Amino acid sequence: MTEKISFRTSKEARKNLILSIIALLIAIVFLFPLYWLVCMSFKSDAESFGKIVTYYPHNFTVSPWLENFTDKDFLFSLRNSFLIALIAMTISMVFGVTAAYGMGRYKVPGQKGFMLSFLITQMLPASLTLTPMYLIFSRLHLLGTYLGPALAIASGTVPFIVVTLRPYFKSVPTALDDAARIDGCNVFQAFFKIMIPAIKTGIITCLVISFLNGWNDLAYSMTFNVKPEMRPLTANIYRFQNKYGTKWNCIMAYGAILAMPVVILFVFLQKYIVGGMTAGAVKE
Amino acid sequence: MKIATKKKLEGYIFILPGFIYILVILGYPLIYNVVLALRNVNVKTFASHTDVFVGLGNFKMLIADPTFRKIFRNTLVFTFGCLFFQFTIGFIFALFFSQKFSLAGPIRGLVLVAYMMPMSVTALLGKNMFDVSSGVFNDLLMKMHLIKSPVEWLLSGGTAMAAVIFMNCWVGIPFNMLLLTSGLTGISQDIYESAEVDGASKFQKFIYITLPLVKPAITAVLMLGFIYTFKAFDLQFVMTSGGPLNATDVLGTYSYQLSFTQYEFSKGSASAIILFCCLFIVGLFYLRMIAREDD
Repeated sequence: MTEKISFRTSKEARKNLILSIIALLIAIVFLFPLYWLVCMSFKSDAESFGKIVTYYPHNFTVSPWLENFTDKDFLFSLRNSFLIALIAMTISMVFGVTAAYGMGRYKVPGQKGFMLSFLITQMLPASLTLTPMYLIFSRLHLLGTYLGPALAIASGTVPFIVVTLRPYFKSVPTALDDAARIDGCNVFQAFFKIMIPAIKTGIITCLVISFLNGWNDLAYSMTFNVKPEMRPLTANIYRFQNKYGTKWNCIMAYGAILAMPVVILFVFLQKYIVGGMTAGAVKE
Repeated sequence: MKIATKKKLEGYIFILPGFIYILVILGYPLIYNVVLALRNVNVKTFASHTDVFVGLGNFKMLIADPTFRKIFRNTLVFTFGCLFFQFTIGFIFALFFSQKFSLAGPIRGLVLVAYMMPMSVTALLGKNMFDVSSGVFNDLLMKMHLIKSPVEWLLSGGTAMAAVIFMNCWVGIPFNMLLLTSGLTGISQDIYESAEVDGASKFQKFIYITLPLVKPAITAVLMLGFIYTFKAFDLQFVMTSGGPLNATDVLGTYSYQLSFTQYEFSKGSASAIILFCCLFIVGLFYLRMIAREDD
């Protein structure tokens, strides 16, 4: 009897080991591009565009990073990236969270129609709205501002927030806001003091995703901000590619810096991000 | 009655700002887009307000244009190429990581980082890794003796399309894996156990239990994948600029070029509308499925 159990467990342990090794191999192959991004960014100029490909920086140097961080144009672009992402995030949250609350907690005539329009707008390609928005923004003097791209980016994020948060709001027991109302809170106090804290997880998910939507945007910022000084990192990629030429190490450092907030947010808030990625997609 | 009216009013106070925002920021441009597509607005006529109504002229011109046809075909090749590989590999990953072993959770989480990468960074990476002389893929393939001389990946049409599909799958695989995993974890372990009692083989369990039960997730991931891939823009724009000779241009990048490098706003709009119509057909099926699950 004991023999059999030990046999079973050792067999299971072996299976566990084999599967874990395969998983590690998958991770190594699959995440190789990410390693490559970092590896390239620490190579010297000659090593990064040489005919001989090296698999780790033989002449390790931080100068590609320094070259970016001491470049005035780069620092401007970095600031623009943050500003556009933050403005887009704020707009998205204000309009998205309130609408999600209304859709989740109230039954009003026309609700199906509202939901349908939120679901449809979530699917719209940027290419479809670029041309008309460009012409409208040019008449409204919104080209070359942070607000132009932020407004456009938020129009994609607001429906995402509604679809993601509506089930969260639905799941909060009505007794909770009833109690708040009896205690003398008005609708808005109940919304801010009771509801928002009650669905903290969902709120964090939406904050992260709406920030990243702004941070990752290329099409809107590039189209509406013609002046390079107003463009975020994504939209200035071509400019820096021309500047750096074949200095792949600098270009890759640029890419690594662009990817950094994503990786940082992912490492610390993975639970929230993964929840958000599946929430709106498969089912409510 | 009074309370009911007050409740409805409260509901509208919360819903309408968001809805009106969408209506103004997206709805109005959408209608304006249709108007543009039916007129001949370009940089000259826009400035001088001399554009005229041309009906379906822009659409007819695009459909007759061999470049546009090529780009439409590219979009289909790109979309279905990506869907095939990212779904197959994503499904294998999902099945593999749904087994119970110590590293399953952490490594599945790691793989997801690729999905979160800004598309422009993925594109930069693609441009570097598929480079002829200093690219790592050529070096690896030569070391493995799979190729004799460096391949000019991004300089000829067919290989450039393959490279773009490859980089897009890097992002698409984790996405497929994630959605299919949530489908797989929904299957109760009891069903498998009772099938085992009945003497079902691994293959039979997969065909008769797993596949039918994850079918909703499969449909969802394929439709969403279609929608996300068909409207691609960032990847091609940064990695190949649609080149060489429009070989990797897709509807998204081509509409942009028409509007913002050729300043033919009306043609750009018409091309974007064709893109939208394709998305809309698939989107309708997706919405119907979501609506059914919502009840």
